[in-house]
Formats: sequence, C-alpha cells, structure tokens
Amino acid sequence: MKEKHIEKLKEIVGQKAVTTEVEDRITYSFDSTRLEYLPDAVVQAKNTQQISEILTFANEENIPVTPRGAATGLSGGCLAVKGGILLNTVHMNKILDINPIDLLIDVEAGVITEEVDKSVSSYGLFYPPDPGSLKSSTIGGNIAENAGGLRGLKYGVTEDYVNGMEVVLPTGEIIELGTRTVKGVTGYNLNSLMVGSEGTLGIVTKATLSLLPKPAARASLLALFDQLTHAAQTVADIVSEGVITSTLEIVDNVTINAIEDYLKIGLDRNIGAMLLIEVDGHQGAVDVEAEIVKKVAAKNKAISCKMATSAKERDALWAARRAALSSLARVKPSTILEDATVPRSKIVQLVEAVNDIAQKYDMPIGTFGHAGDGNLHPTLLTDLRIPEEEEKVEKVIQEIFEVTVKLGGTLSGEHGIGISKAKYLSLEISPEVFDLMKKVKRTFDPNNILNPGKMYFDD
Amino acid sequence: MVKDKQKTKISLKKDELFNCSRCGNCLAVCPIYKQELDESVTPRGKLSLLEAVDKGVMDFTNRLSDKIYTCTMCNSCTVECPSGVALKEIFEAARLDLVDSHRYPEILDMLKKRIAEGHNVTFDTNEGRADWVKQIPGAKLEDMIKDSAEVVYFAGCVSSFSPRTFSIPRSIVQLLDQADIDFTLLGDQEWCCGFPLLSSGMEEEAKKLADYNVAKIKEKKAKMLITSCPSCYHTWKHTYARLSTEAVDFEILHISQYLLKILKEGKLSLNPLHMTVTYHDPCDLGRNSDVYEEPREVIQSVPGIQYVELEKNRAQANCCGGGGNLESLDADLAASIALAKAAEIADANVDAVISACQQCERTIGTALKKKKKELKKKIKVWDISELVLKSVQGK
Repeated sequence: MKEKHIEKLKEIVGQKAVTTEVEDRITYSFDSTRLEYLPDAVVQAKNTQQISEILTFANEENIPVTPRGAATGLSGGCLAVKGGILLNTVHMNKILDINPIDLLIDVEAGVITEEVDKSVSSYGLFYPPDPGSLKSSTIGGNIAENAGGLRGLKYGVTEDYVNGMEVVLPTGEIIELGTRTVKGVTGYNLNSLMVGSEGTLGIVTKATLSLLPKPAARASLLALFDQLTHAAQTVADIVSEGVITSTLEIVDNVTINAIEDYLKIGLDRNIGAMLLIEVDGHQGAVDVEAEIVKKVAAKNKAISCKMATSAKERDALWAARRAALSSLARVKPSTILEDATVPRSKIVQLVEAVNDIAQKYDMPIGTFGHAGDGNLHPTLLTDLRIPEEEEKVEKVIQEIFEVTVKLGGTLSGEHGIGISKAKYLSLEISPEVFDLMKKVKRTFDPNNILNPGKMYFDD
Repeated sequence: MVKDKQKTKISLKKDELFNCSRCGNCLAVCPIYKQELDESVTPRGKLSLLEAVDKGVMDFTNRLSDKIYTCTMCNSCTVECPSGVALKEIFEAARLDLVDSHRYPEILDMLKKRIAEGHNVTFDTNEGRADWVKQIPGAKLEDMIKDSAEVVYFAGCVSSFSPRTFSIPRSIVQLLDQADIDFTLLGDQEWCCGFPLLSSGMEEEAKKLADYNVAKIKEKKAKMLITSCPSCYHTWKHTYARLSTEAVDFEILHISQYLLKILKEGKLSLNPLHMTVTYHDPCDLGRNSDVYEEPREVIQSVPGIQYVELEKNRAQANCCGGGGNLESLDADLAASIALAKAAEIADANVDAVISACQQCERTIGTALKKKKKELKKKIKVWDISELVLKSVQGK
C-alpha cells in the first residue's frame, strides 16, 4: 500500500482510526488458528458508510480488505492473507431494537454474541446459537462463519436465526437482504448465501436475528459408559425414541483423563466415554424425556446415569464438559481443534478412526463434542515449535478428513474453511461445485479484493 | 546518556508465551479491551508482541512498551485463560525487561525518585505520614507509636497521604482502640512497601524497601502485621519472602481478615445497620491474594445488613481501573474503567458498596459521583473498616 492510500483511509475514518505501525499490525495478524499474516494497515470502522467508502476505494485501487470481528475463529477467516487493509468492525456494537412480538432483535455486527442473549432475557426470550467463544465473539463473525454451538441438534446454528441483514458489497454498495417475516420467498435467498460466506462476498454491518421463548424447564443428565460404542449407541437410540435433546455431548477417554489430570474431581480414568445430556421445554415434557434418556442409557449398559436436582448439581455435571478444551490445552503447548462432522450413525466409526490415526502417528488426540449432531472436536495435542510436528499434524488432519468424508461427513461443522482447511476442499466438493462457488465469488467481487486467499478461490 | 544494555529478547517466562492459543477468551474479561476495543492492548495481543520480540521479529520499542504498560494488572485474564497461561506473571517479567532496556514510561522515573527520596509515592516528605491521626478527636500520635507492640498497623502510602481516604486508617485505629489491641503505627518510620516499583518492573529498588520495612517490624517485636491496602498486603504476604534478606517471621493479615478474627474473639460488639450493601473485590486482595470470604463474613456479621453480590464477584470481579499504575499513565482510560464498574454497582440497587482498598474506594467514589444524575439513589462508598466502625458506634 502506498502513502496516498493511507491518507485516503484517514480521510474516511479519521487519523486515529488508521495505523500502519508494526506494533499494531502484529496484534491484528492472528486468530485462534495461531496462523499469522501481517496486514499493511489496520482500520477501525465506526459505521456502515465508512465501510462502504473504504470498499469503494479499495475496489478502485485493488487493495485487499479483510474484515475482522473478535478474531476467535478457528479457520483463519479474518486473517489478511494477502496483506492490505484489516478492517475491524467491533466498534459497531449497538443493539438497535428488540421486538418481543415479532421475536426479532436488530443489532450492529460488532455486538458480542452473549450480549444478544442477555439483552432479550428480561423479555423471556433467548438467542439459541451458543458457540464456545460467545463471550468474546461478535455477531458479524458468527454470521460470516455460520457459527454453531452446543445446542445444534434441537436449535440449529446461526443461519437458522438470521432473518435479514445489511451488507456492504465488495464494490461498495450498501444492500439489505432477507425479511422481517417468518416466511419469505421473494427471489433468490441471498440472505442465506451470505451466512457462512466467510467474509468473502460482503461485510455484514447489521443483522436482524430471530429469537425464541426461553424454555420453562430443563434437566441435565450425566451418563458414564465402559465403552465408547455404548455411549454412541445411546446417542442414536435417544433420537430414535423421539427425543430431541437440547444438548447431547460426548467426551472420550483421552479427554476424560486430561480433565482428571487438570481438575482432579475423581473421574474414573477407565471410563470409555461420558455423555452430557440436557432436555428442555415445559416441565411435563422434560420429565417424560428425562425418563426416556435414563432408560435408553440403562439399556445400553451405562455404568451410571445421574440427573442434577439443583442448579448447583447441574453446574457440577457440566464442569467436566466445560473443562474439556482447557484440560486438553494444558497437556501440550499447541492445541489444534478440528470440527469434523459425520452423520449421527457414524460417530463410533469416526472416533475409532481418530484413535487409530493418533496411534499411527503417536500424537495424542482427545475427542469431545456435539454427538447429537455428529459434530465432533478431535483435538490434536502437540508442540508446533518442534519442526517435524507441523508435517505430522498435516498428515493427521489429512487422514481425519479422508475418513470423515468417506463416512458421509463434512470437513467443517461450524468452524469454516478459511485457509486452514482450504487445501482439503476437493476431498468433499466436486470440481463443478468448486467452479460454481468461484463464479459466485466473482459475481460479488469482480476484482477479488474482499478477504482474498480464502477457500483458495483465487489460486 | 549511553544505554548500557539494550535487551532484544524476553529473558523471563518465555516458554509460557507459546502456550497462549489466541482463543480470545481474555477479551471478554479484560477491562482495557472492554473500553478500547483494540486488539493491540488485549492480553493475547500483548503476548503476541512479546512473542514477536522473542522470535527476533522486532525489538523492544517505546510503542510496544506503552502497550505492555496499558494494563491494570487486575489478572482477570489469567483466571479466564483455558490454557493456564499466567499472564500477570508474564507482564511483570516483561516490565522488568523493559526497565532493563530503558523502554518504560518516563513518569515511572519520577515515581522511583519520589520513593527513593521521600520513601512514599507522593510529593510530600515522609514526616507527614501520620497526619491523619490529628483528625481523630482526642487522639495523640505519640500514644500510637510504641517501642514495641503485638500488632503493627502498616497504613500504606495512599491512605496516609490522600485526605480522601484518611477515613480508612482513622477507622482502623479507632477500632483497634475499641477492641483494646496492643498495636503501634510506624509513623514517619514507615516506608513504601515497594508495590508500585514491583508492578513497574523495578525490582532492585523494591528490595531495599523490603529490607528496611522488615527490620522496622522486627524492632517492634511484633507478632503480627496488618495492612488496609490490598497491594501492601499482597507485597508483604507474597513477595517479601523472596525480596527480603531477613526472614519474615511474623503473621501478615489484611484488615478484613483481622477484623473477622477479633469479631470472632468477641472483642467488638456490633449494632444494627439497616441497609442493603454489596462488596467489591479488590484485585490485589481477591484474585491476586485469594482472600474472598473474610470480607464477606465481616460484612454479613453486621446485624440488619442486607447483603447482595455484584453480578461479577470473587475471581470474576471487575477491576475498578485503579491498578497497575494505569491512572498515572492514562487517566482517561482508568476513569472509563471506573465508570463501567460504577454502572455495575448501580445495577445492584444498593445503599452502599463496601470495598477493602483505599484505591478502589477512591476510583469508585469518583466514578459514582460522575454518574450522580443517572443514579436512582445515592450510593455510599465505604471501606470495610468504616462499615464496622459505624456498626460499633451504632450510627
């Protein structure tokens, strides 16, 4: 970037909102993948108009622009792979309107995910998507990556709650997509196309999100199993008994041992797997569903299946699951969190295959995650400062993805492709589909200035 | 001036730098980030800069130094970190390195000079250290400075020199008198504990103060030292063992712990106070010294008190903005953090917020005053010693 470009940016957003100092650029070079790409300039945007002007200018001058929220992403979506402008959107963080009749909330893109849920709580409503980073992540980032969470099985993911949005196109136009209605079939559903487009088609500046009434009651259960297969069968059987749980989480033996090392809460280290199950709804339904869960667990040889009888007990049950990632993160300096996702019926095969791969490469992998929707988190534990490890990690990930796709699954359930999974895209997507995606990208962004380098659309 | 050594590498805690996964959980709790929304001053952002120095990507610069010092050292990030990175320890180590390489805020040199010459953090000479005693009707300083005593009350610089917080040491000596405790002050013989130097990265200077202060307590043949300042407490309790040449062989208690002890011994009798109060956990007492329950027990032992918790409490408590020397480096930022704290307190709908730190009392008091017009009712800001004294005196 040239000096005149920087001057132009300062004209648009003000002197203080642009920096090219290396000390600033370094801190905007990473996300949770721990990959690093230095942008040439960091710009703090305050409103939609500024973003429009920046994109218009960048498009004319062919300068890459990478939008960024809280940078908690796990696929490199907000990394300035091709340098250029790093556009921070977190200052646009106002909650604009709450409509409890239409069950809608209007927010700016920089609003923190948890704040959406908190702000509607007093209306008896909630915002279901709950990605692991919800205390830091922004709605804009969640929409770009189509973030998931623990409640996917019953409540779906971000895309199920985005009714509409304001978007700035790479060529600078400000457009509105979607509706304020439950139904809406006017033209192509570009609103849905934008969700999960990883900031490559436009920058979301405002969103209209839909809400749900808070469930009146919930019950939490913890079931322990000798064998992983018994836990997985329980998952399948719960669903076939007609119970759609709000959460259905699995934790494998490697992770259980890591949790016990860290928390020392007396977990049996020989347990094959544990399931954390939550059902919610009206009290009567919750009681019936909790009973069914207990019966199914017993039928599948659960060592125990405990139901929490108080909020304190519920917190205790959840403590182990909540600590899963922290515990694994303490085993080795580098933690690589994948999100391979398979049909529910293939969970056992995936976990067993992951364990085989771990043995083959002598790399510890703990697996936990959202068994109810087949979205698992095999977590590679390593030390990337050791030169050989990087190559080993690549091989391990390649094999995990190969088996995932073979089982009818997908590379990414909720983290996105970005750059960390871009080279594996052809494992799942045919050349025809990839080509179609590239055409979509070019239609929106003819000069390829917005978030270039992602999903390898431009290589 | 020729700089004798220019550090270009992180010398301490460098292995820990790599354990940060950049997950961003620290953003949710960092008081600086919540105000600035700028990654360059977040805990993980600071670590990325230190890692860049360690890898040789860049040297220590003044701009980098400014960012490292933009921190209240509240330690919320460490509590939140899933990878168990001890961030505050890394930032303390980084400040040591920055001082070694002469990259630190100039204002800290003035602090160092003031402490070296006047033995306190203010511009005043140390003779006036116990002037607050004059405010107690009928009290004489000479009665409070004994050759030897069971207990030494170490008042600390801020409470001793800042008139706005004189009420804290005043309340404490009145309570000690009431409970018939054999105690003494050090008066002008009390020197700064060294905490401001330690958190600035000037450990060598702090060592001299540790040796001096420990010797003074030993002269008094005291069995116990009590402090009202959480930072003094933290330094005495957790740092002097390492800094001091002589062994620290007397007990060290914060006033909240000591008040609980003498209340349990029946040395004070409390009268009812009919009001709703909450408690603000000072960072250096709570998160950094693990003292959470004693202040709560003391407050709740006052008859008639309705006690409520703040939304974020104990290890999750929000910082008041008063720590890490931030106030002297960026007063506006510190003030905006205090305003956020005041808003949280206002939401609790209480008659008073109780703290156990003169710095918190000052910053929260100022912030609540600024918010006066928005508040439904006036909220008093009291130190725990003031609350107990009011209960003892029945008013």
